[in-house]
Amino acid sequence: MRPVVIAGVGMIPFERRDEDSLVDMLAMAGLKAMDDANLGDRPVDAVYVGNMASGLFNHQVSVASALVDRLSLMPAAADRIENGPASGGSAVKNGFLAVASGYCDIVLVVGGEKMREVIGPKATDIVACMTHPNAEYIYGVTLPALAGMFTRLYMEKYGVTREHLTLVAIKNQENGLLNPYAHIQMKITMEGVLTHPQAHVNSPVVADPIHLYDCCPVSDGAAAVLLTTEDIANELKRPIVTIAGVGQATDTHTLQERSDPTDLKAVTIASQKAFSMSGIKPKDIDVAELHDAFTILEIAESEHAGFFPKGQGANALAAGETQIGGKLPINPSGGLKARGHPVGATGVAQIVELVWQLRGEAGKRQVKGAVNGFSLNFGGFGNNVIAFVLRSKS
Amino acid sequence: MNTITAYKCKKCGLVMYPHHFRCLKCNGREFEEIKPSANGKLLTYTIIEQLPWGIDERERVLGVVEFDNGVKALGVIKAKDPKLGMKLKAGWEPVRVIGGEKVYGLSFQPTK
Amino acid sequence: MDMELEAYLRPPEMPMVPYPPKVITLATSGKMIVRQVDRDAVPILLEAIKPTFEVARDYYDIVGVRLYAELLGWYRYRVRDEFCLVGQIDGLLVGIVNTRCYSPKLGMSLHTLAIERGLRIGAHLFAAKMEYSFEYLKQEEVLITAESPIGFRRWMIEYGLEKRDGQHELGGATPYALTRELYFRNKSRLVAGERPVPLELMQVAEREIIVASEEDILEKILGVKRREI
Repeated sequence: MRPVVIAGVGMIPFERRDEDSLVDMLAMAGLKAMDDANLGDRPVDAVYVGNMASGLFNHQVSVASALVDRLSLMPAAADRIENGPASGGSAVKNGFLAVASGYCDIVLVVGGEKMREVIGPKATDIVACMTHPNAEYIYGVTLPALAGMFTRLYMEKYGVTREHLTLVAIKNQENGLLNPYAHIQMKITMEGVLTHPQAHVNSPVVADPIHLYDCCPVSDGAAAVLLTTEDIANELKRPIVTIAGVGQATDTHTLQERSDPTDLKAVTIASQKAFSMSGIKPKDIDVAELHDAFTILEIAESEHAGFFPKGQGANALAAGETQIGGKLPINPSGGLKARGHPVGATGVAQIVELVWQLRGEAGKRQVKGAVNGFSLNFGGFGNNVIAFVLRSKS
Repeated sequence: MNTITAYKCKKCGLVMYPHHFRCLKCNGREFEEIKPSANGKLLTYTIIEQLPWGIDERERVLGVVEFDNGVKALGVIKAKDPKLGMKLKAGWEPVRVIGGEKVYGLSFQPTK
Repeated sequence: MDMELEAYLRPPEMPMVPYPPKVITLATSGKMIVRQVDRDAVPILLEAIKPTFEVARDYYDIVGVRLYAELLGWYRYRVRDEFCLVGQIDGLLVGIVNTRCYSPKLGMSLHTLAIERGLRIGAHLFAAKMEYSFEYLKQEEVLITAESPIGFRRWMIEYGLEKRDGQHELGGATPYALTRELYFRNKSRLVAGERPVPLELMQVAEREIIVASEEDILEKILGVKRREI
């Protein structure tokens, strides 16, 4: 396999975007990545689109084919990749393989989702479609409900508290204020969200013990990366940021069939594979983008990915180690909590943020001297996880 | 039928629910259909206050129960004050309406 | 003004116990004062509502136009037994709610307009007007109809309102009712606020109802200004 460089990146602000269709958003982000790569008139060999549920949200399918048309990239190959909330990560993985294998030289990967076309409880139902149809979905289980059941066990086992969970939300929303692309631009406080006697009215229960401010928002948006060889990246005069490692792993579909439901095996294995492939270790990572669809997941993933021993993630968070100026900045972008979570876009947006960080282009949220980055995209409820290790050579 | 069907691997004895085509432990393909015991214990639960479209209840408690014979399943928990490890007995009732039809599933009540 | 003629044109007024103001701590730790306003506040409220007339998103246009009409009608003494509560943060107007007392026992919830979004302002103010109806005006039931999906989700679903036959006076979809029983059952979950309001905060709120510029109001309602990056 030959090295794969992320030569161009781009995204559009994540928010409620009533005026933009899904394919328009994919096109806007795609153009940004192409322009960032100085692509000019060079042809693209393949386009991968990460998107979970365009058929359900937007009554439209085959959106990768539509995107090629909008961007006039014909006759490029095009596929839509679906892996639930890890659709973006899977799309990047597929793009990576196409270039690494020698099959393609220039690949555009775009992740996007337009969720706000439907009312909240319907979006909840659509997202719940990834659960097991007979053993989970029929009971009205929601992703927050799975997170709630997981969180209860995690709190019981490791002593994680609601205060820890709120620290994740506070940190990420503060980081979001430094990110012009972030959906949520609001500073929240421990008092307003947790400790005030009436804070529960501001942050009501979604699926106990998960409250409103433990959940990421429902967003529209798209993000894109342009992948190519090192030679072409040099011709395009782009900084060399490579995908040094990719790992993917799966786990049982239902939460109940995992021998220890608090053990996110797929996160551990996917991360190990990515690290092993890259030759980089967790302690060498300068900045990480983790999948905090629920605040508990940032804590749990920081442990299972190998950054902190199990049960220590919350302590590291409380000690400020995961702030932008800390030992291991996690989610300088604001994470899913503040940047937002247009489902198919997230995995790609995580990579976009890492590239900005590794190029020194992250503005006010820059992690100083970042060379190695890590991202984790969490599909289903941890039953299909993709991890990436990125390295800057510049 | 008034409960779920679980599967016991004929080769290694692993009990699984829901259905898999190959055993999760030994890849065996032959299973004995078994019913869960009448009772079990609560492994984890959540109180859902934001239900998906199509369910009109104000709130619903869901939980994972481990039956005495090893079957594990998600179901509606009808306990006023759910506690981890509490003993529950299984019932079977409509849990959702899908496409206009009532869909039946597991519900649990405290044994005492 | 010919007060003799006005006597024929003005509706009778049901005595209403005033709503005691309260302060709500928001998720940002910001403090929102919720207080009742009198007719003299209406002209300034109308200024704040005007920018919504052209905003179709989330039905701000019909909510805004109808609220404007209801407040103006009340101001000019042509609408019976209406009350209006406002939310202010550091004096800045962030939301308006109004209800009409159809009868001493039956409230007719009219409108909820949130100018600041993302802080559950509308939810807090809606809860406040229900608090007024049940805890101070001692009503038995309040009829509610939603014009926007957000309203429907916040009220019909979150409160678990009961459907009613007949019509709401806004003439919209079949109304739902919040009963005393439902209100008190949901109160701890949905109604916030502390009394009394600290003097300094109250003084700021009463001194002036500050209305944001039209541009700011539109930006707040429509979300962050479309960022071109």
